[in-house]
Order: sequence, then C-alpha cells, then structure tokens
Amino acid sequence: MAAPGGEPALEARGLVRRFGATTALDGLGLAVRPGELYGLVGPDGAGKTTAIRALAGLIDLDGGEARVLGLDPIREGRAVRERLGLMPQQFSLYRDLSVMENLRFFGRVYCLPRAAFRERSERLLQLTRLAPFADRRADALSGGMYKKLALACALLHRPEVLILDEPTNGVDPVSRRELWALLHEFVHGGMAVLISTPYMDEAERCDRVGLAHRGRLLDEGAPLELLARSGAATFEELFVARIREAG
Amino acid sequence: MRRSALRVGAMAWKETLHILRDPRTLLLALAMPVFLLLLFGFGVSFDVDRIPLAIADGDRTEASRALVRAYVEPHEFEPVAAVEAEGAEALLRQGYALGALIVPHGYAEALDRGEPGGAQLLVDGADGVIANQVLAKSDATALAAGQSRLAAAAGAIAPPVAVSVWTRYNPEARSAIFMVPGLSAFLLAVGAVLLTALTVAGEWERGSMEQLFASPLGRLEIVAGKLAPYLVLGELQFLLVLSLGTFAFDVPIRGNGPLLFAFGLLFLLGMLGQGLLISVLAKSQLVATQAGALSSLLPSLLLSGLLFPVENMPAPLRALSALVPARYLVRALRGILLKGAGLDVLWPDLVAQVIFAAVVVALATARFKRRLA
Repeated sequence: MAAPGGEPALEARGLVRRFGATTALDGLGLAVRPGELYGLVGPDGAGKTTAIRALAGLIDLDGGEARVLGLDPIREGRAVRERLGLMPQQFSLYRDLSVMENLRFFGRVYCLPRAAFRERSERLLQLTRLAPFADRRADALSGGMYKKLALACALLHRPEVLILDEPTNGVDPVSRRELWALLHEFVHGGMAVLISTPYMDEAERCDRVGLAHRGRLLDEGAPLELLARSGAATFEELFVARIREAG
Repeated sequence: MRRSALRVGAMAWKETLHILRDPRTLLLALAMPVFLLLLFGFGVSFDVDRIPLAIADGDRTEASRALVRAYVEPHEFEPVAAVEAEGAEALLRQGYALGALIVPHGYAEALDRGEPGGAQLLVDGADGVIANQVLAKSDATALAAGQSRLAAAAGAIAPPVAVSVWTRYNPEARSAIFMVPGLSAFLLAVGAVLLTALTVAGEWERGSMEQLFASPLGRLEIVAGKLAPYLVLGELQFLLVLSLGTFAFDVPIRGNGPLLFAFGLLFLLGMLGQGLLISVLAKSQLVATQAGALSSLLPSLLLSGLLFPVENMPAPLRALSALVPARYLVRALRGILLKGAGLDVLWPDLVAQVIFAAVVVALATARFKRRLA
C-alpha cells in the first residue's frame, strides 16, 4: 500500500462533547491523510457517530477542534460541505424517490452540469451494480443495495473527503465485501476516507485503525503493526485487552 | 447566486415528487377543502326558510292584505296562525311561531295620508342567529313591498315609505355568500400549516435532514425550496375554493382579481411560515400535526371573524385576534368579493399580512439550526 503523505485532510484534536450527564466524546483525536482509509473501530456507544458528526460540522463541540481540509466545518461550513461526502448511519435518502431520482437530487444540490452528472451517475450505477434497478424506489431496495446507493449519492460530487458512519452495519457478507472493494478503489484515487464500524474483523481492511472506547482512542496504528505490538491474534482479543488496561 | 437558485430548484423538484407520490397530501390539500366547503355551504347553513309567522291583521283592508301577501308569498315566511294582536306573544313563547306580523287598525288610512303604516314585527330573539335572519328577511320584504307600492302609485304623489335598515351586499342574508370567503381563509390556514408542519418534521423523522445538512444547501435554500411547491399547491387550493364558491353558491367576485391573488399568496406565505416554525421546533410529525392543527384551526375559526364578528369580542380577545392572519384575509375576501373593495380600503390588512409572513419566516429560519443535537 502506498504510504499516504502530506497534510491531514481530516483532523480531530481533543474532541469533547457532553449530552447532559453523559460524555460522548472525551478527548478523541485522529488524523486522516489524502489517499488513506482510516477505520474508527469500536462498540456501540463508543462515540463514533458523535465524532463523525463533529467532523462534518453537524454538532457543536464542548471542547477540542475539528478540521476538514484545514477548514473549520462549522464556521467555514459552506466551503467544507462542497468538498465533503457524508454517508450517515441511518436511512437518509428519500424512500419514495427512485434510485435515479435520489441521484439526480444530489446531482442538482451539488450543481453538477448535466453532462457530468450523466457520466458520473452511469459510472457509479455500474460500479455499484445498481444500473438495472435505476427506476426502483429506494424503499424497495435491500439493505446492501440501499447502502450502495447512499455511497453513490455521497460520491457523486467527487468529494476530497469521504466520511461513512457504519456503512456495513446490517449488510449481508457479500454486499459488505463489495462495499469495501468500492471504497478501496476510491481511496486509491487520492480521497481521504474515514469509516466507522463496530465489526472488529473489518479493521484489517483499513490503512490505519483507531480503537474507540468511551469517547477516546485506546490505540491507533496500522492494523498488522497494532497486532504485532500487542501480541494479540485478532482485533477482538486486542480490543478486550486494551479495555481491561484502560479500566 | 445562480448556484443558490439551482439548489432551491433541486429542493422544490424533490418536494414536488413527494407531493405527487403521496395521495394523502393531495387529498388533504384538494379534496378536504371541497368537502368542507360543501358541508358548510349546504349542510351547516344559517339560512332559515319558511319561518313560522303568526299574523295579526287588525286592519283587514286591501293594503294590509297586500303587506301580508308580500311576507308570505315568497315562502320565506309561512303563516301558521291568524290571531288577535294580544295573542301573538303567547304563540312566540310557546315556540309555535318565530315571528308575528302585527298590522294595526288604521294601517291603510295612515299610508293614504302619507305616514308610516306602523306595522310591527315581533321576533323570537332567543336564538340570535335566527332572530337576525328573520329581521334581515323582514327588511328585504318590507323594502320590496314599499317599492311595489311606489310603482303602483306611479303618477300620483308617492307616499313616503319608512325604511329603517337597508341590508346591502347580501340583501337576502344568504349565509353561503357570507361564509364562503371566511371559510376559504379557514381552509387555507389549516391546509397550509398542516402541510408544511408535516414536511419539515418528516425530514427529521426520516433521517434525511442529516444528509441535507451535510450538503451545500443553505438553511434559507432548504426553507425556500420546501415552501415553493406548497405555495403553488395552496394557490391551487385557493382557486378551487373560490371557483366552487362562485359556481355552487353564487358568491360574486366584484373586486380585483390580482389583488385577490396577492392576498391569497401573502396569507399562504404566513401560514406556511407558521407551519415551518412549528415543525422546526417540534421535529416529530405527530407533535407537529397536533400543534399545527391547534394553532391554525381554532384561531382561524374563532378569532378570525369567520363565525363571530371581531368587533363584538371582548378587548383582550380582540387584541389577540390581531395576531391571527386569517382575520385580515377574511376581511379582505369579504371586501374584495362582496363589496368590490380595493387597495385604498384594504391596505392595512395587506400590511398586516406582510408583517406576519416576514416575522414567522424569519423566526423559523433563525430557529432552524444546522445542528443535529
């Protein structure tokens, strides 16, 4: 794998966010460089979604700093959003619109010229193998197909930074493998990708991994390096050991 | 600027697809007003036909019989008893008659002398609506009778006919003519507030708000794109209600069409803004529907002057009604449709509508935070 270099496209420094009595983010920090696929791995409630929303400028922070391409995602939101693709965890497209209409909506929102839209949407439909279902309503898609459509919508404007919140959650193994293959293809085009997942076995598919627990990172590094350093056989083992150390 | 217009267009296009795909929205917007208008126009009519009338003719002359005929023949009044003047009140008390026409002895002679005849109408005032109807109809009848006497006496010296009240614009006091303009305001208010309250809350509930917030769409662009199709739908609704009023209930359109259109548009903008504000605060379709229905239905029905004249309200309620845009539309519609009033009379109502629309849309946009939590 090519060593990614340069300034981080996505950077979180000491993120803190509280919701009432619970602390969702407790000093979490990470950096993703262009051409790098960074996996934020951790169980439910580790603060992954909150961290992603903070980076996308969708929530206010109680402390710390988020930067996207060197910009503040809230104060310089407009500029950030033109260059950022987000795929939320929950169903977030329009169920009563067809696959093509959902794509067309996002094409218009990003003001893509007609020709560019046609070329990109065709290519994305082909890559995701959704082309035969272009006229199907989004609520009639299977879980895996829906996720691929959401990915296509997030990629339509060729973002420099792509953030995906648990894209493989609730997806069958075949579709999961397809999604990862697609992601690798786009990363090699120089995109910075941040992906969150609760599945430990997916950690190995990333260039770098951060183990999230209770709003902060327990450990961070290239997957094989992390395993070698700790002497654990699997990420699950490694994770359990790190949690025990953290108390 | 051009990109902004493109984004608003994208939003409006998507929203139009939602409307076309959801038969409930179209039904709510187009069928409900028609149904309600027909129900109110035909079913819930304040018109009283064949009012039971006791007649006490103490004169028994050609002139007195002519007056009685004038009351009875158009079937507005139904003679139920011929009594002496003293017995008339008993019939009213028993509820046997709603009115009693009392023609005094010497009625014809008085008319011949050129003096008022002194005929009386006693009215059962227990039900204010019915009493008003009886009075209005009696006015119309007495006026007609006076005019026909004038015509009959043409050439001779016309006797003065005493007329105390002259009901204009709606001389037959038909409730449809009075109700349709008011009802259309009410229906527009409820429809517009509910529709928008649902659409923005729906965006939160479906989870699509997260995707919209992460896109370059500005808050104002989201709001404008969402409102535009509903504004068009609302104007269609307005047109539908007005044409139904004209064709089914003979409501006249005496005033200026563009002014009517402008009032409708401003009113809708205010109502859509109110719906938007509610859904921005509520974020759930259920709460938004309830708050939307409550905040549009009751004020538009009770405080707008649709059923109860604003002038008769106690001061605090009258002050409250100043915040209800339906009040201005009801006034404007009655003015434009029935009286042919123009901007010279209605400008304060237009200004009030503009202020309301500007304030609610500004409030809604300000409260519409681009944050998920």
